[in-house]
Amino acid sequence: MEAASVSHLEHDHHGPPEANKSSRVDPAMLGMLLFIISEIMVFGAFFTAYFFIRVVNTDSWPALGQEIPWAIAGINTLILISSSLTLHWALHSVKSGNRFAFKVGMLSTFLLGACFLFIQVNEYIHLGYSPTESAQGSIFYGLTGLHGAHVFIGLTLLLMVTVRAFRGHFSAEHHRGVEVPGIYWHFVDVMWVVVYATIYIL
Amino acid sequence: MAAKLRAPGWYRAGAFTLLGIAFCFGLTTLIRALYSYDPLIDGYAITVVAMLGAPFFFLVGLGTFDYWFYWAAGRPTRAEDHSSHGAKSWRDYFKVNTDHKVIGIQYVCTSFFFMLVGGAMAMLIRAELAAPGAQFVNAQTYNGLFSVHASLLIFLFIIPVFAGLANYVLPLMIGAPDMAFPRLNALSFWMLPVAGTLMLLSFFAPGGSFATGWTAYAPLSTDAPLGQMMFTIGVQFAGASSIATALNFLVTIITMRAPGMSFWRMPLLVWANFSTSLLVVIATPFVAASQFFVLLDWALGFNFFNAARGGDVLMYQHVFWFYSHPAVYIMMLPGFGIVSEILSVKARKPIFGYRMMAFSLLAIVVLGFSVWAHHMFVSGMQAWIRVPMMITTAIIAIPTGIKIFSWLATLWRGVLKLDTPMLFALGFLTMFTLGGISGVMLAMIPVTIYVSDTYFIVAHIHYVLFGGSLFTIFAGVYYWFPKMTGRMYDERLGKIHFWLTFVGFNLTFGPMHVVGLQGMPRRVADYAEQFAGWNLFISMASFVLGASTLVFVWNMVASWRAGPKASSNPWRALTLEWQVSSPPPIFNFDAVPTVVGGPYEYGVPGAVHGIFNSPVEAKPAGSLVTRPTKE
Repeated sequence: MEAASVSHLEHDHHGPPEANKSSRVDPAMLGMLLFIISEIMVFGAFFTAYFFIRVVNTDSWPALGQEIPWAIAGINTLILISSSLTLHWALHSVKSGNRFAFKVGMLSTFLLGACFLFIQVNEYIHLGYSPTESAQGSIFYGLTGLHGAHVFIGLTLLLMVTVRAFRGHFSAEHHRGVEVPGIYWHFVDVMWVVVYATIYIL
Repeated sequence: MAAKLRAPGWYRAGAFTLLGIAFCFGLTTLIRALYSYDPLIDGYAITVVAMLGAPFFFLVGLGTFDYWFYWAAGRPTRAEDHSSHGAKSWRDYFKVNTDHKVIGIQYVCTSFFFMLVGGAMAMLIRAELAAPGAQFVNAQTYNGLFSVHASLLIFLFIIPVFAGLANYVLPLMIGAPDMAFPRLNALSFWMLPVAGTLMLLSFFAPGGSFATGWTAYAPLSTDAPLGQMMFTIGVQFAGASSIATALNFLVTIITMRAPGMSFWRMPLLVWANFSTSLLVVIATPFVAASQFFVLLDWALGFNFFNAARGGDVLMYQHVFWFYSHPAVYIMMLPGFGIVSEILSVKARKPIFGYRMMAFSLLAIVVLGFSVWAHHMFVSGMQAWIRVPMMITTAIIAIPTGIKIFSWLATLWRGVLKLDTPMLFALGFLTMFTLGGISGVMLAMIPVTIYVSDTYFIVAHIHYVLFGGSLFTIFAGVYYWFPKMTGRMYDERLGKIHFWLTFVGFNLTFGPMHVVGLQGMPRRVADYAEQFAGWNLFISMASFVLGASTLVFVWNMVASWRAGPKASSNPWRALTLEWQVSSPPPIFNFDAVPTVVGGPYEYGVPGAVHGIFNSPVEAKPAGSLVTRPTKE
């Protein structure tokens, strides 16, 4: 009967009820991790293209007459890895309440990342060949460019964190806004190591 | 006016879209000037850049990013006053809204709009094919019609409509006040109209709409006219939308279940969406990447698929099908969930083999990634891949079979209530089994080689996606219609709709098996004289099928406007969404309920699923004496 059906309309709400926390995992962190899985798959698809050139078709890598500057990129790799270390330091500092170290850590992470991107663009300019000349070139630019785009996204996130850090946000108790973009930055770094190892070294 | 342009909404969205087009025009021209390209102003380049850029300006203008911009800049965010929750008039459905119930209805209505457009294209296709030779459209337009038909129905109907239904009922089912990321939820909805608009606009592009099928194989697509880019870019938006929603579902299911709602007490619809979301998160990036390759090849002269410069054409098919085979399950698993709900409720019996049902979903997720190359048996790929792919494809029939037999066992000796949702669920059971059987046939390499690119394939895909997915969608829409709108649909019209659809569907797609085996090729506007009889028959049947949709639309519109009021639990179901009023209160629950038992304990004396805190609601749901207001 109608009377038995539950009517909530007469109740006056001021907000939604508190959701039950059915997992210890932080929702924002879980969301970021799932997004990173998606990102890994995007890279996976680009690596498939690479795989087809090198393993399935056993073409030369790089294309004949082209060179890949592994030494400069190696220095760039070190820059990116060190940015991960400074980021970890920044997170550690905010957790222990050291605001100065937190701000320095965030700023140096951002600058190291920007430095990486600058060197990468510089590398493109001096490479001497374009993606239109060979499939190898397409894949080289495709993979490094895809990674560069991720560095750009990561830098944007880091910039937000840095701005908020200098505005006095975050504390020893509330630092999720540092952790979640941070894990993305670490992913970008790890991905670079994979890209560097396959594209430049192997 | 100035205030309207500052506040989030359609005025600002329009202004921002124009701004975005202007920005893309400037950006493209600037880059071309820097590289001293000739001509400086290139319409094609600007259009492609604008198709990528302007949608973001549109979304910003509409207000989907407002909160995040405030947050990111470290400015105080506007306090959530919940004014954007709920919808008081139809206008509220055209605004950015963070309420999962409003977004669910937005999703369902938008995707049904694209379903009607795509269906109208199917009518044109059948009109053209009613007789041999050219009737109404030329071959190029015909190719465009079937391509847009498939793309709309796959990317803008089946995938999002399931997301929409789940958006509405899933948080209610698990006892959550909303999705985990409501603003992301709103953004993922608003990317859909963008994708659909792009695909539809392609008809106005120079050179006509994209005409390479929904598969857009390279190098056909990398040499196609501008319209192809509208598919390529549209898919990016649809894909981003679907990844964002899937991520949202996963986080919601993992972190926001009501107390006592363990994974083994979740309704199977929740399980189904959990599995689907895993597939989406892992597989969808591949279709995005495949279309990025096409975009780069088409627009910037990359050589991913240019064989003359070392590119590999087959790589496209591998990457594409590595998404698009799992996509078949993305389009089917939520339907499995819907059918599990309906069969159990309407047969008044616990679902048979609940845990095996959940495990078989997960098995399909895992196996779904190991079968992609069965779409490529005649592509000229390495021959050794064929047999392993044939075997894994055949293995997928096992978890699917577990589900089919579990549903049959659920029905066994049940007290079946044959109303519209149940009829569609039973229709799904038979039609999907037929589609599954032709699927197993197609998994066999010799059969595929024989019938590849014939109407047998068309018949199979429609038995799976129409007889399978669409029947479950209809079942789900009828089943949750009282909950979503607070009104009952017209049962008589619903039954007429079912029988017209069921008969029209079989008369349309059944004979396609025959003409396919006789060798009629698909994706061709003309055909040999010998197929004329069957094709005329198929075309007439398809018009019946098309007309049946009108009955559905009429039923939905009229019932939503003036149907009899629905009680909170017209089906006497146990799951949590039926224990709140119809439509549910604005925040779903006064207090989050406690779950103490399984969701399908129908006919089990004393069984309780959820307990509500206030005394009125603490009664076991199954014992409430509620009846449908109609019948």
